[in-house]
Amino acid sequence: MSRRIRLSVVPARRIFIGRALALGFVFLVLALVLMLLGLNLGTVATLVVTSTFGTEFGLENLALYMTPLLMTGAAVWLALRAGLWNIGAEGQFLAGATAASAVGLFLPFPAFVTLPLAAMAGMIAGACWSAVPAAGRAWLGVSEIITTLLLNFIASYLVYYLVTGPWADRVTGAQVSSERIHAAIPTIYGVVHWGGPLALAVVTALGLLLGRSRFGYELTLSGSNPEAAHYAGVSVAPRLFMALVFSGALAGLGGMMEALGTVHRLQGGLAHGYGYLGIVVALLARQSALALIPAAFLMAVILNMGIVLQTLQVSASSVLAITGLLVFAIAVSDELAAYVRLETQK
Amino acid sequence: MSDLLHNQETRPADLPAGAPPLLTLSGIAKYFPGVVANKDVSIDFYPGEIHALLGENGAGKSTLMNIVTGLYQPDEGELILDGYGVRFESPEAAIAAGIGMVHQHFKLVSRFTVAENLALGWRETGFRLSASAMARRAEVEAERYGLDIRPSARIDTLTSGEQQRVEILRVLSRGARLLILDEPTAVLSPLEVGELYAALRRFRDGGGAVILISHKLDEIMALADRVTVLRHGRVSGTHLVAHTEPSTLVTEMIGRPVEQKSDYPRKMPRTDDDAVMVLENVSCRDGAGQMRLHPLSLEICAGEILGIAGVTGNGQSELSDLLAGLRSSETGHVLVDGKDMRGRGPNAFREAGIGYVPEDRLHKALAPALGVTENAVMRLFRTSPIGGRLAYHASEALRFTRSLLDQAQVSLAEPATPIRALSGGNQQRLVLARERMISHRALVASYPSRGLDIGAIALMRQTLADIRDEGRAVVLVSEDLDELMALSDRIAVLCGGRLMTVVPRGDYDRARIGALMSGRNGGASS
Repeated sequence: MSRRIRLSVVPARRIFIGRALALGFVFLVLALVLMLLGLNLGTVATLVVTSTFGTEFGLENLALYMTPLLMTGAAVWLALRAGLWNIGAEGQFLAGATAASAVGLFLPFPAFVTLPLAAMAGMIAGACWSAVPAAGRAWLGVSEIITTLLLNFIASYLVYYLVTGPWADRVTGAQVSSERIHAAIPTIYGVVHWGGPLALAVVTALGLLLGRSRFGYELTLSGSNPEAAHYAGVSVAPRLFMALVFSGALAGLGGMMEALGTVHRLQGGLAHGYGYLGIVVALLARQSALALIPAAFLMAVILNMGIVLQTLQVSASSVLAITGLLVFAIAVSDELAAYVRLETQK
Repeated sequence: MSDLLHNQETRPADLPAGAPPLLTLSGIAKYFPGVVANKDVSIDFYPGEIHALLGENGAGKSTLMNIVTGLYQPDEGELILDGYGVRFESPEAAIAAGIGMVHQHFKLVSRFTVAENLALGWRETGFRLSASAMARRAEVEAERYGLDIRPSARIDTLTSGEQQRVEILRVLSRGARLLILDEPTAVLSPLEVGELYAALRRFRDGGGAVILISHKLDEIMALADRVTVLRHGRVSGTHLVAHTEPSTLVTEMIGRPVEQKSDYPRKMPRTDDDAVMVLENVSCRDGAGQMRLHPLSLEICAGEILGIAGVTGNGQSELSDLLAGLRSSETGHVLVDGKDMRGRGPNAFREAGIGYVPEDRLHKALAPALGVTENAVMRLFRTSPIGGRLAYHASEALRFTRSLLDQAQVSLAEPATPIRALSGGNQQRLVLARERMISHRALVASYPSRGLDIGAIALMRQTLADIRDEGRAVVLVSEDLDELMALSDRIAVLCGGRLMTVVPRGDYDRARIGALMSGRNGGASS
């Protein structure tokens, strides 16, 4: 006789195997759809692999995708540590990009002054963008999911207003865009800029800091059981507020990197869904901050794959479909990984 | 088989020969990973008897009842109802077969009236509902089972005793022939206990069967006809209550005789009796503005155990939260060692040396999803060597956790295990050990024996007496009068959030304290 039971502690190995199977499942479905579209699987696979990993352009693209994903992923991950869902990384990202662009566009300082200023401005703007939802959640119990989400639309339309109105490009006449920002994050190789290494450093530091600081422990406790945190003498509301505000600052810094490192302009649609994809990255990473790195990498590969598929006349929404399928498959596999077969003797 | 059951009293005393059991459990077994929850459990439940199920926590009582009510399927063995083998695929199937359970935590909709709650369970409840029809129906059912209820009252205005009556009536009105009650007297005042007993006896005399899950021996001796003792998931004996002694049952329950001491004398004379904590005119309201604790003043002295008696929910949790700084008083002062603690949080109380084992440990004193380590250091993560102003040292936290596990006598290989994976008893032991370490001045312990088995309770009580002997103060909140009378130097009685009186050790009188608990002013003795 055998039955299945649910483990309360799931070994990491089981999770890993489950996720590998989930990824395999996603690719299987993808292959099936591509076949139904009449595409040759071999050609598509070769094209995806060579254009992503085999060309300089592809590798650069990968690095440029990873940078904002790391930052928004870190933002969502930090909030999750406190049991909060920051759905507003997109808006905070845009707020950070806007503030950083303002510094880059209008302040006549040399780059070594402008860049730190822009980074500060980006973080402060992102923090401010999440401050109102944070305060509402911490002291009034207003769901942060709704408020952070709604602020995304405000940020998005604000950027559209700026780049088609007061900040519109009157030099080259680029549509829905500001003028080129002269201060730029220095590049390492080709178009890849120092934002990437910085993002990696931020993620690593975040993991170390939270694991070894009182604040990290208090945050985890507040997120896990606010009542027990109160019993332990932790003031829960300020911790939750700080977590969401820091989360916003991280997303804002990501926005600054995108505007001053990759795009060099403030544009409508600059955020590119990075805020929402950051949720996926954070979910993939689970408890560990360092796991954000492979998660962001995987997401970047999928984004790159989307470009290749577009060249093959597959709809641009395919990226969203693949991402959705991936989240779904991983949620299911994580749950199933908790179940083991139990042999019982007669 | 028959000689195996030789010394088991498998039939009620005055049962006509040939009368078949209502429900037979035959060789039931249930396994969970690494645990045998039930094995070889065979019990007959006859109509017209109150059958008690006795066992320590983890002895398999709950699992067995979950099988009987269709929540679990047995891995082996079968259920025989009225002579036919049955299989309950769901709780609904068990209810349809006439098996109803009254849970320890009532499953009532608190914003609905009594009549509406009763209507929820009726199969015949139609598409259209009229309030008067529901009320009429409720009255008819109440009449039929002799349970006194007010159909139009809202559930949240009722006492726990009244709510329990509604719950029982709901189960009965759905046609239950076998009524299962899980620890039914835990939330009742002594007066209500009497009413419950009467109702259950009436149901039994009408031919119903009752299964009473309990670990209160006197309750079983007073009410039950037969008793089955479970140990480690197996039946260790079935007896006619009239033919057995409490001490036999205890021995069967835990496998060895345990003496429940009625007195814990001091090992050395008390040297110091200064007031450690002083409450002056403190009071509390709940979120709805209702007075939960009326202004009261109390002194807690070094080297004493102050018992707090009362029916659950009469202001005990507010009082203990106040003593530990989790809640601040609306009026008056809380003084610790002469210092006013107004506006100071739980951490200030912890620093002042006041430990607190709250009532709902899993949700109030532990973070269930976090690891044992995170939970072990919950109160001490600020202090060296685990933490500093900013730092948190995971390796020191782990070392501390291992020593705490040792002290609590909990064996655990992997301290990263989420604490919810531990048994209730082990969680309780860890909290108690942790808080004992903190309590230089005083320990506030709310229902510390809840969730512990008899052996562990004896150990816990001895621990409280030791803390007292070390010259620290203990505040013991309990619903168990025997426990309070055995340990306490004084007993404060709470009823409806009011301090009725404080009884010194010399004047303990069970009847008088019982009367005070149910709000009568103990006038009998004066």
